[in-house]
Amino acid sequence: MKQTAGPATTAIKALLTLMYGVPILWIVLTSFKSSADVFGLQSSFAFRPVTTAYVEAFDGALLTALRQSLLISTGTTALTLLVAVPAAYGLARTTGRISTIGLSLLIVLQMMPQTATVIPMFQIFGNWKLLDSTLGVIIADTALLIPFATLLLRPFFRAVPPQLEEAASIDGASILRAFFSIVLPVARNGVFTVGTLVFLLSWGEFLYAVNFFLAPGSYPLSALLAQQVSAFGINWPGLMALAVLTSIPILIVFTGTYRLLRDGLTVGAVK
Amino acid sequence: MTAQLAPAAAPHTAPVPRSRRARRRPPQVRLLFLVPAVVFLGLFSFFPLVQLLRMSVSKVTAATLNGTWDFVGLDNFTAGFSSGQSTEALYRTGVFVLVVTILGMVGGLAAAIALRTTGRWSGFLLALMVFVWALPPVVNGSVWKFLLGDSGLFNTLLLTSGLRDTPLPFLYDQYWALMSVAFVNAFVVIPFNALVFRAALMNISPETFEAAALDGASKWQEIRHIMLPSVRPTTLVLLVLTIVYGFRSFDFIYVMTYGGPGTATNTLPFLGYLQAFVRYDFGLGSATSVVAVIGVLVLAAVYARSIRREESES
Repeated sequence: MKQTAGPATTAIKALLTLMYGVPILWIVLTSFKSSADVFGLQSSFAFRPVTTAYVEAFDGALLTALRQSLLISTGTTALTLLVAVPAAYGLARTTGRISTIGLSLLIVLQMMPQTATVIPMFQIFGNWKLLDSTLGVIIADTALLIPFATLLLRPFFRAVPPQLEEAASIDGASILRAFFSIVLPVARNGVFTVGTLVFLLSWGEFLYAVNFFLAPGSYPLSALLAQQVSAFGINWPGLMALAVLTSIPILIVFTGTYRLLRDGLTVGAVK
Repeated sequence: MTAQLAPAAAPHTAPVPRSRRARRRPPQVRLLFLVPAVVFLGLFSFFPLVQLLRMSVSKVTAATLNGTWDFVGLDNFTAGFSSGQSTEALYRTGVFVLVVTILGMVGGLAAAIALRTTGRWSGFLLALMVFVWALPPVVNGSVWKFLLGDSGLFNTLLLTSGLRDTPLPFLYDQYWALMSVAFVNAFVVIPFNALVFRAALMNISPETFEAAALDGASKWQEIRHIMLPSVRPTTLVLLVLTIVYGFRSFDFIYVMTYGGPGTATNTLPFLGYLQAFVRYDFGLGSATSVVAVIGVLVLAAVYARSIRREESES
């Protein structure tokens, strides 16, 4: 089929390219400016690039935040998959009232405002000595992302033909064995897609981190950025340098998984 | 990045033939696979919701947070509504959700139609948009706060082109602030909606378009009579998801305005957060949050119904 791009299509595409290209361009440009060049039209593109912002941003605190981000994101991804993969498989292979209720509860939990759950969790974590600990934030992020991960994983497991498992059970494999050696390998693309998304989401999460860590010393990058952007007298080059540094791992993960994300994201929402 | 997904039926690529008769074991044994999730969510999701409910009917301050709470009945709720705070926040949330939903849905569909064409530009643009969607909300929020500032790109362009004498107060005017944050929310949700709409459009068989072209259909007629009807089920699901996304949004408010100026960007969920963590009135904050949770429950019911209808139609 020949798709001719009419003038309207071209106009929309041009507008979108500007809308999504300019912010990215501006983050990168600003991060290489000196404070004097930040504002003003003349210095938009014509400025002497300096790495001051990066040099200043790169201190021990940044490395600590980077380590915290990595720890929280990998921890959350591992824990979420550990719980959500079996749950999604269970919901994909069962029918009846229990699994319907389970699905409905997951939908409701997925829609819960995070600003509502942070209040009681702050109290509970205070009692359970989970405040100001990285494990506490990992647990909170995991609880936040399990519903999302399970709901997105379920269609991938439903797409695995049950006959494969039946064949395995005829050969004497237990349900557990069949799950690990047959179902999981077939559905690995889904697990990989969901794992990537959980990693990206927990990398950007900051509300739990800001409230559950009692001092900025243990903040991950996203929380550090949230704290600095709501402060008075923002140092824009420094902030944008921090934004670039926060986004680089996202860019790496994104470049490696874009195809999977593009196709996998639509599986759950569209038929 | 914010993502919400629907538990729709199995992907169309792999039809699952049912053969219940041939199954050796009763399938319900597999409910045991749900046990870890039940335990984890019970402890860290449902128990907190119970606590939220208890806090909303108690007097809880920073001092008594981990002590005993006095039961005060519905005092927190009446306090929220009689001071007008909750009512105003409810109204602002409505406006906010409306703007996010209209911009997000129309923008997403327009982008999907434009990006349906194959080619280098479309491919690059789609990847760029999905990348922006995948960025942490703090990053997107920061750059837009910068672009919309008094000396930011937009005001610089407005001033140098002579369209305005004074900068537009995008982020510190009563009315502009809510619209600006809603716009950025829509900006981030458009790539996701475009991706989902695009997948639905790609499912239309090329022959349909060829037949329409033979009949001399215009581009607009193609959109009106072929594309719109075929994305209708997707539209329903996305509509609810976008509404929920706008409703529970707090990250851009946190980063760009922190609820201000004054109370101009206090949506219901954000108001609850501020009451609890800035004013340390955890009881009042919980009551506001419970109202927000009830809103979510209503949306979830609508959502479940639209999904069921979609599944029964196909």
